[in-house]
Amino acid sequence: MQCELLYQPVSTMARIRLDAGEQFLVEPGAMIGMSTNMDMKTGLAGNSQSTGILGKLASAAGRMLTGESFFQNTYMPQGGSGELLLAHTLPGDMVMMEVGDHGLKLQSTAFVASSTGVNIQAEFGGARSFFSGEGLFLISATAQRPGEQLLVGAFGGIQEVQCDGSMVIDTGHLVAWDANLTFNVKKAAGGWIASYLSGEGLVCQFNGQGRIWMQTRNPQAYGTLVGSMLPPRTN
Amino acid sequence: MRYEIRQRPNFSIALVTFESPGEQLVVEAAAMVAKDSALAMKTNMRGGLLGAAKRKMLGGESLFQNTFTASKAGETIWVAPVAEGDMLAFDMDGTQPIYMSSGNYIASGPDVTLDSSFQGGKGFFSGTSFFMLEAKGNGPLFIGSYGGIHPVNVGPEGYVVDNYHIVAFTGGLQYTVKRVGGMKSLFGGGEGLVCHFSGQGTVWVATRGSAALARFIHPFRPVESNK
Repeated sequence: MQCELLYQPVSTMARIRLDAGEQFLVEPGAMIGMSTNMDMKTGLAGNSQSTGILGKLASAAGRMLTGESFFQNTYMPQGGSGELLLAHTLPGDMVMMEVGDHGLKLQSTAFVASSTGVNIQAEFGGARSFFSGEGLFLISATAQRPGEQLLVGAFGGIQEVQCDGSMVIDTGHLVAWDANLTFNVKKAAGGWIASYLSGEGLVCQFNGQGRIWMQTRNPQAYGTLVGSMLPPRTN
Repeated sequence: MRYEIRQRPNFSIALVTFESPGEQLVVEAAAMVAKDSALAMKTNMRGGLLGAAKRKMLGGESLFQNTFTASKAGETIWVAPVAEGDMLAFDMDGTQPIYMSSGNYIASGPDVTLDSSFQGGKGFFSGTSFFMLEAKGNGPLFIGSYGGIHPVNVGPEGYVVDNYHIVAFTGGLQYTVKRVGGMKSLFGGGEGLVCHFSGQGTVWVATRGSAALARFIHPFRPVESNK
């Protein structure tokens, strides 16, 4: 699999080249173009390790809770190599990251695509971890072997930072982080009122050593800004 | 007439410089950003009332277009699309038409003709691209799109593009609208309808869609209270 990111950072598109026999798992709606030899199969999303229909259903239902789709599309070129053009919905960048030994955690709408050796599961983020309207669930990505890749999309630019000990990040700006980091969602200031007044709401406190990817704009804040200026909706 | 496109790719704008008196550029209503004050503007319905009405109803373009005429060499005009995105410029030489999705037309030379080409049954399920605007003739043509614009050279093996992301394609291509992966995918897979292009030519793909941004913002609108 080769990936080339084009039109960065606002209108980023990923051009993916798959060799014969390679497969790629894609979020429904993310494919904007492809070579004609690409075969697409729609399947229940979730942990590929889940056995039996019940296990798969439970896993797929979990993904739906994250705001991701119940179904996922697997693309495989027939008779030679093939090409996929993938894009995210909002204006912003994309990044291809290696899942690594520890796995990755993703904010629920960040998933765009992955190699097929990546297991994707919904994970309850804890009672307080409502990601400023993003939902109570996170995506946990793990891989059995090194080299497995994950394509992630964001709103705005994507800034990678290294957590060296501890760090605090606004939940609305979180995209992904190494799963070996421990995290705790909490109020930005001491009390709820002070926290509200600070305008920061909920933040995520990370501890440990690992990578964190932030998006330079907060989609919820942007939606609130523009949405509040529009006439009321009836549906 | 010479031109260049600046501020690519998200805020593209075309600077057109006229090289002789009498040269003209036809510009979609509201697409002019700036011009030399000596440049004369005339508003008209190209192709007459019927042609203009058909273009507006079917192709999504305005009823009226403005024609700018140079009084001397060196006069300039700036034209740009409405939404944030890139532009394409073509030097049409009469050999093959350019088809564009409705709403993407920005400007063209006076010898480029526009027509809404009916896509008939094959476009029936395609939603946005039911009608394509056909440009043919000689001279410059400017097209704009939301997001980045990615060119794909279509060879004998063809290419597949999501319907909502087609910006334009060259006349040497044929296409058929298909569902990806059958009924199951239509309901579950989210990919919906695609165009299978075949033949020899280029198709340009938009890397974002303005409808997706609108869908994202919609839930943030206040809810009307029932009294």
